[in-house]
Amino acid sequence: MALVTATIVFLIAMFLIVYSWPAIAFNGFGILTHLEWNLGNQYANGVVHRGGFTGAPGASFGAVVFIAGTIISSAFAMAIATPLAILVAIAMHYQVPRRLKTPVNTLVELMAGVPSVVYGLWGIGVLVPWISSSVGPFLAAHISWLSIIGGGSASGNGLLATSFILAVMVFPIMAATMRDVLSTFPKIVFEGAIGLGATPWQAVTTMVLPAIRTQMFAAAMLALGRALGETMAVLMVCGSALNQLPQNIFAPINTIAAVIVSQLDSALTDPTGMAERSLAELALILFVITLSVNLIARLIMRGGDRVKRTA
Amino acid sequence: MKPLRIIFGLLAFSIATTAAAFAAAELLETGSSLVYPLMNLWVPVYTKAHGDVKITTQSTGSGTGISQAVAGVAQIGASDAYMSDAQLGTTHMLNIPLAISAQQINYNVPGLNDVHLNLSGPVLAGIYDGSIHFWDDAKIKAINGSVGSKLPHEAIIPIHRSDGSGDTFIFTQYLSFSTPSWKGGPGYGTTVNWPAVQNAVGANGNPGMVQACQGAKYSIAYIGVSFLDQTNQAGLGYAALQNASGKFVLPTEPNIVAGAAAKDKETPKDERISLIFAPGANAYPIINYEYEIVNPKQKDAATASEVKNFLSWAITGGQGKTFLEKVHFIALPPSIVSLSKAQIAEIGS
Repeated sequence: MALVTATIVFLIAMFLIVYSWPAIAFNGFGILTHLEWNLGNQYANGVVHRGGFTGAPGASFGAVVFIAGTIISSAFAMAIATPLAILVAIAMHYQVPRRLKTPVNTLVELMAGVPSVVYGLWGIGVLVPWISSSVGPFLAAHISWLSIIGGGSASGNGLLATSFILAVMVFPIMAATMRDVLSTFPKIVFEGAIGLGATPWQAVTTMVLPAIRTQMFAAAMLALGRALGETMAVLMVCGSALNQLPQNIFAPINTIAAVIVSQLDSALTDPTGMAERSLAELALILFVITLSVNLIARLIMRGGDRVKRTA
Repeated sequence: MKPLRIIFGLLAFSIATTAAAFAAAELLETGSSLVYPLMNLWVPVYTKAHGDVKITTQSTGSGTGISQAVAGVAQIGASDAYMSDAQLGTTHMLNIPLAISAQQINYNVPGLNDVHLNLSGPVLAGIYDGSIHFWDDAKIKAINGSVGSKLPHEAIIPIHRSDGSGDTFIFTQYLSFSTPSWKGGPGYGTTVNWPAVQNAVGANGNPGMVQACQGAKYSIAYIGVSFLDQTNQAGLGYAALQNASGKFVLPTEPNIVAGAAAKDKETPKDERISLIFAPGANAYPIINYEYEIVNPKQKDAATASEVKNFLSWAITGGQGKTFLEKVHFIALPPSIVSLSKAQIAEIGS
């Protein structure tokens, strides 16, 4: 089983590398250091040569804006969703009365199953106008000294809307997985702690959570993977920034997944084909980021297990 | 399970055989989302009269339309933009106009959405490159007469398309042809290198543009004329644009016709020409031919003749007001119809 998975991952990586090879040669390390993303002028004549391959005149493929947008929005989303998911998972496992457990569990699982485009539509129709007309002006009026908030909300499309949508999307996945993790903890030990005089809150925070923290961390990483690669809902609310990094939490951003979708149609008409190859290189970068997150998570979990065993 | 499977099998078989019996040829039309609503009006009417052909239509974007027509996946690729010399390269593809479209500049400035603000190419270029920040900028005031004093001191939010778009193509052509600094900077294309402007946002598709402009006060957006009904419903204003003669004109039918008339003699045999910023006192400056991209060498004679028949009908019977008026398109002038006919005659196998 593990061998099959490893083979599939290897084949995907090979495909991405082979397919984006012209772009890797054309862009060099510039794709990781340049802000400017420009498909080039398809209505001008001539081509530019770099690294043995050709691109449209004026072509410049820098992915810094998209890499930063992907990481920042996912980090913000995790910061919002993780504490909430932990609390909800604890409540679902220990606090919700038995007869309500099934409906509550079903509800959370339903939330996890809602297609992302539905969240995106809610984002466009409700969240974005609300940020533009209420949240932004309120924050600007009261805590404008905080530079990441100052600057006004403008259209409402941007980092805050994206992070919020991502948080709403990953929260149910995290809560459901964390609830399952909590249920693996022997109930008798929890009840023993209560019997010795601990409050339920003390029992959970001092005994249960430390014991299962690596599995909880794994649940969070699973959700992070989803946030990093989310496309449609993000495309609908991110404001599709080009050539600029966000200066505050309201600023438009762009993510790797969203830019691949939004630029593909124009890339298809690039006679040199370099635009399409560069989008494939973006996919490769996203693949590497997701894979690294997974590997780092695994390393941390392995470290955590060792500590637990020696303790 | 088994009886069900047999029923489904029979059903599939009968559908397949009837389709084969009644439809001699199957055509795939794909591309521009602006052409798609028109195709949905055309195809049912056409196929009702011509039972031997089945036409599938798709809204996938102009870029996909061009690339799938070149690759031979689609027989007809719809595009708002004509193919450039570089895109044509050594391949021979026909660019056949089927109708004339236009684009309006919408804005959301509370209190001024019921008047038509005057805007010019250089002012729009200034808004989209960040050199004009506020609605009460002297350059906007200067061209708006008495309305100028009502312009608020609020930051402008320029909205552009985030996806590849024929609307971006014609809008940036208007900026390029009217403003040298834009021509030398971002230039024009279905996707351009938008200057970094703090407030600027990208929106996805024309529906996304309408939503974003409606949702954000003090925003401005460029939206295809087939969405004029929606932008009016959304309460957005639309601008009178300065044309090549210096006059501010609205995207009314006579003004669009005037623009097209100014360019029809210049239209070359391959019909690849921009209608943007056409001369003429009343010419509306942002208009374009909606193209069908067709390979003159189709896979077989039957397919070639079906493509020819359908396109010939589209530029004659299909030009009726019952079709075009619903999407605010304008019929091709007679001289362009004959140029298109000559191009359609080139299709073979």
